[in-house]
Amino acid sequence: MELHRLVAKDVMRRKRRVLYAVLGVVIGIMTVISILTVALAAESRIYEQLEEYGANLVVIPAVSQLDLELGGLGLGSLTVGQNYIPEGKVSLVRQITDDMINHSLGIQDERDRYAAPVSPKLYVSSEVRGVSVMVVGIDPEEERRMKTWWRIREGEYLDGTDQALLGALAAELLELNAGDSIVLNGFDMTVAGILRETGSNDDYQIFVPIRMAQEAVDREGMVSSIDVRALCIACPVEDIADEINMMVPGVRAVAVKQIAMTEMGMMDRINRFMLALAGITLAVGMFGVVNTMTTSVHERIRDIGIMRAVGASRNQIVRTFIYEAIIVGILGGVLGFLAGTLLAYGIGPLIFPGVSVGYVPGYLPLSLALAIVVAVAATLYPAFRATRIRVADSFRSL
Amino acid sequence: MLVVKSVSKIYGEGTNRVVALNNVSLEAAKGDFIAVMGHSGSGKSTLLNIIGGLDYPSSGEVILDGRRIDAMNEDALVDIRRGRITYVFQQYHLLPSLTALENVLLPLTFRGTNNGTQRALDMLARVGLDKRAGHKPGQLSGGEQQRVAIARALVNDPALILADEPTGNMDQKTGMEILELFRQLHREGHSIIMVTHNPEIARHAGEIIVLQDGQIANRVEQGRSRNNEH
Repeated sequence: MELHRLVAKDVMRRKRRVLYAVLGVVIGIMTVISILTVALAAESRIYEQLEEYGANLVVIPAVSQLDLELGGLGLGSLTVGQNYIPEGKVSLVRQITDDMINHSLGIQDERDRYAAPVSPKLYVSSEVRGVSVMVVGIDPEEERRMKTWWRIREGEYLDGTDQALLGALAAELLELNAGDSIVLNGFDMTVAGILRETGSNDDYQIFVPIRMAQEAVDREGMVSSIDVRALCIACPVEDIADEINMMVPGVRAVAVKQIAMTEMGMMDRINRFMLALAGITLAVGMFGVVNTMTTSVHERIRDIGIMRAVGASRNQIVRTFIYEAIIVGILGGVLGFLAGTLLAYGIGPLIFPGVSVGYVPGYLPLSLALAIVVAVAATLYPAFRATRIRVADSFRSL
Repeated sequence: MLVVKSVSKIYGEGTNRVVALNNVSLEAAKGDFIAVMGHSGSGKSTLLNIIGGLDYPSSGEVILDGRRIDAMNEDALVDIRRGRITYVFQQYHLLPSLTALENVLLPLTFRGTNNGTQRALDMLARVGLDKRAGHKPGQLSGGEQQRVAIARALVNDPALILADEPTGNMDQKTGMEILELFRQLHREGHSIIMVTHNPEIARHAGEIIVLQDGQIANRVEQGRSRNNEH
C-alpha cells in the first residue's frame, strides 16, 4: 500500500470535512476567476467602444505660414511647403507605426503581426447638382477598418472605381438614392450606398475611391492627410508620432493625445482595480482554507499519533497532508473554475451592460495551479505543527 | 537488552508540579515478560511511553541495546519504531478508514515496503483473523480489533512489544484470549512489557513490577524462564 492510497481512503471516509475545505478553496478561486473573466470581457468591450474614437494619429503636410511684414505693414502671409503628401509616404508611415506597435507588444512572429489601420485621404471641394460638397477620396478597405462604426443604410459599400458612398445628410440634401448617377468634376459615378447617420462630419461628405479623387483634381499620387489608428494598451502613440516626424520629411504627425491618454489610463485603472479585488478575495479565501485545514489537522491528531507510533516519520505525516491538500486543490480548482465562470456570466452584464462574457479555457490551469498552491500553503503550517506534538500527548488529547 | 536507569518524569511547575515517575529503574533481558501493575495514576503508562520513546523523561536514562532512547532525535526514534519496539494500546488505535489488512500493512507502508501483503496476511492468520482481513475496525469486536493491533505490532518483527493495558477494554473471557495470544508470542521468544491492573493477567508474567505514586513499591520475580510455567 502506498502513502497516497492511504490518503485517498482517509479522504473518502472524511468526505464531509474534505468538502468543507474544498468549499473554502472554491469560494476564493470562484471569485478570482469570475473577476478575471468579467475583466477580460470588459476589456474587449472597452476596446470595442474605444474603436469608435477613430484615428488617434494624424499625419498632415508640413506647411508653415510665414507672416510677411514690412515696416509694420502686413503684407499677408506666404505659405511655404506643399499642401499634399506624396502617396509613397503612406507605406513608410505604415511601416513605422506597425514596427513600433509590434515591438512594444513584443510580437516577433510575422504571422501574429498587428497591422494598424492607416488610411490616406484626399479632400476635394466639388459641386454636385449645383450644391458645393466635400468629396473625400479614401482607401475603401482601410477606411472601413478605421471606422468600424460605419453602417450602410442603403445599397452597398464601395466596391468598384466609379462608385460613391454618401453621408446620410449629403444624400438627403442632394435627394440621392443608391443606384443614382452623379457627375463629379466631369466624371460619371454611381451612388453605391448611403451611410447611416454618424453625428460627425462624415454625414455631409461624399466618399469616393482615392484614385477617382486624385484623377478628378489632377493630383495623381497625392494625399491630403493620413489617419492612423494606433490603439492598444501598449501602443506608444506619441513615440510613433515623434518617429514619423523624424524619419519622414515633409510631413507633420500629430498624436491625438487625449484619446490615447484616456483609453490607456482607463484600461490601466480597470486592470489594477480588478487585480486588487482578485488578490483580496484570494487572501480571504486562503484564510478560510487555513481555518478548515487547521481544524482538519486538529481532528486527526490521534491518527497522526497512531501513524507515528507505527513508524511514520514527520516527513511522511506532512506528506500525507500535502497529498490531501492536492486533492482539495484539484477539486477546488475545477469547481472554482466552473463556479467562477458561471458567476461571470451572471454578474458580467450587470457590471458592464452589453458585455458578452465568454468562458476562458486558459483559466482552468490557472485556477488549478492557484487552488493547489493555496491548499498546500494553508496545510503546511498546521501539519508541521501537528508533527511537533509528542506521540504520547497526541493520544492524551482525546 | 533494555535498561531503565533512575527515570523521573515531572509534569508542570511550582504548585502544579506533578511527579509522575520518581527514580524508577528496571532491566529486561531478551525473552522477558514483565508486567507493570499499579492503580490508575501510579505512572504505569508514563513509564511505558518513556521506554518506547513516545515521551521523554525529565531525568534518567533509557538504554535499548546499548543506545540511549531518551536522548535520541526524532529520526532515530522513527528507526526504533520501525523495527525494535512496537506498541499495543488499550484503545487499539487502529486507523478507522483502513481495513484490518491495511492497518497491519501500515508499518510496512511507512518503511517503504510495498509488497508486504502476504506478510500482513500471515500476521493476521497468526492472530486468527485472516478471515476478516477486509473488515474495517468499526465492523470488528473489541477483541478482534486488539488482535489486528497485535498483528500490526508483529509485522515489523520487533525486539520488544510494549502493551498498555491491552485487555483493559474487554470482558474477562476476551481478555484471557488476548492474554493467551501474548503468552504464545512470549513462548515464541518475543520480549514483552505489559501494563495491567489485572493480577490474574500479571500472574503469567515472569516479573511483576508494582508502581505506586511513581515509585516502584514492589518487585516480584516469578522465575526468569516462564516457558516452563505450564
